[in-house]
Amino acid sequence: MTAPDDRRVMVISGASGGVGRGIALACAAHGWTVWIAARRAREGTAVAEEVDGAGGHGRFVQCDVSDRRSVEEAIDEVVARDGRLDAVVHNATSGLSPVPTVLEELSLVDLQDHIAVSLRGLRSMALAAHPHLRRTRGSVVALTSEAGFEGKARLSPYAAVKAAQRGLVRALAREWGPEGIRVNAVAPLASTEAMERAFELDPDMADRVLGRIPLGRLGDPAEDVGAVVRFLVSADARFVTGAVVMADGGSCPIA
Amino acid sequence: MTDRGLVIGAGVGPVEELAEALGAAPAELLGLDGQGDRSPAALEAARARLGSGDQVDWVVVALWPPTATRSPFLDLLDEDWERRSEWALTAWVAAMGAAVQRCRDGGRIVAVVERPPPLDSVGWSAESALADAVEALVRSLSRSEGPRGVRVNAVSTPFRMVELPVRPPAPPLDSFPGGVVPEVAEAVRMLIGPGVAGVTGTMVHADCGRSWR
Repeated sequence: MTAPDDRRVMVISGASGGVGRGIALACAAHGWTVWIAARRAREGTAVAEEVDGAGGHGRFVQCDVSDRRSVEEAIDEVVARDGRLDAVVHNATSGLSPVPTVLEELSLVDLQDHIAVSLRGLRSMALAAHPHLRRTRGSVVALTSEAGFEGKARLSPYAAVKAAQRGLVRALAREWGPEGIRVNAVAPLASTEAMERAFELDPDMADRVLGRIPLGRLGDPAEDVGAVVRFLVSADARFVTGAVVMADGGSCPIA
Repeated sequence: MTDRGLVIGAGVGPVEELAEALGAAPAELLGLDGQGDRSPAALEAARARLGSGDQVDWVVVALWPPTATRSPFLDLLDEDWERRSEWALTAWVAAMGAAVQRCRDGGRIVAVVERPPPLDSVGWSAESALADAVEALVRSLSRSEGPRGVRVNAVSTPFRMVELPVRPPAPPLDSFPGGVVPEVAEAVRMLIGPGVAGVTGTMVHADCGRSWR
């Protein structure tokens, strides 16, 4: 059953930097035990230490989200150590996400990486967490993207898998709602290393991106995006499911 | 219709019906029953083969599996998930890539995808994910192909995914969930026709009002 934030346990995939790190720190500030699930041990452990410093309890578990067994082992380790699981946040995304391409020339091998990390990873995280989330009436949050709504001319595989996450979230929210499990998504637009890399690969992108944000800036991974995720995994959002929250400064007007 | 068109997705009854209604030749990407070689290399070869034909005025992509089966998420085996979402998405990407190559400048591309309305999405997690992915592909292509005058849109239908009687509220039209003819075919005909020259990047839900966005 629902516990105070300082006794609650979450796992965040792809949290060794960027938006995932921001989510970890935002939840740490409310006392959560935050497991950093990532492939890179050194960076993941460093974020776990930051979680400790931010008021939470940081842990690291090695995890390749594209491998269902790796995800199951990671979730097993979390529950064995902390005895419960209240939320999983799937933030990991393919390293190929910012690489521009045109659809008719897209390597379908590269596409498999997008699918494995974003879509199969979300399925694996949700499946592994399901029995534990049912006990705690917990929640799943997927980090999707405005690209999944509006498409991207040269980032179409990224847009497609991010949209696929949204469709899965919508269906899962209906399927698991009767068990008390909530499933939501957040579409962030934040200042991260990945965004900086995308700006480097496409020099005009910065002007295009910033020029359409009513609030005039990229979001902060912790204060602007992490805070939204923290709300969604908290009891304050106990009546919110199947939603996609745009944490993008108004960049993508979908309503 | 005097334009030359192509329907990608042969071998599945409703798609053959759609092609016939549109007066177009159906073409196959790969066997859509999930059998045989499902490697990325096989799909890339199929994309190259299909994309190398003569250019046409419009291309409709309707990669439907032979059957649609409702499966709760927890009951969906890995192999079924892979076939119904991951491989299906890869095949759609290959087919849309071929469509771009076959469509002439100023032509039209329409994706026809099975999509469960949100109210009826229980048991259709893989298909919900796939449908949203196809919508994003359409939006992406509308941007990349717009400069050469190509319009790219989508039509969604749930007609193989609905168990009657439907859960309330009742759909606005009692013809729900519709069918290939006239619901889907007429929506496609509109989108490949000359009367909607300013429409691109949209998904038309041919589902009798069951979906509202």
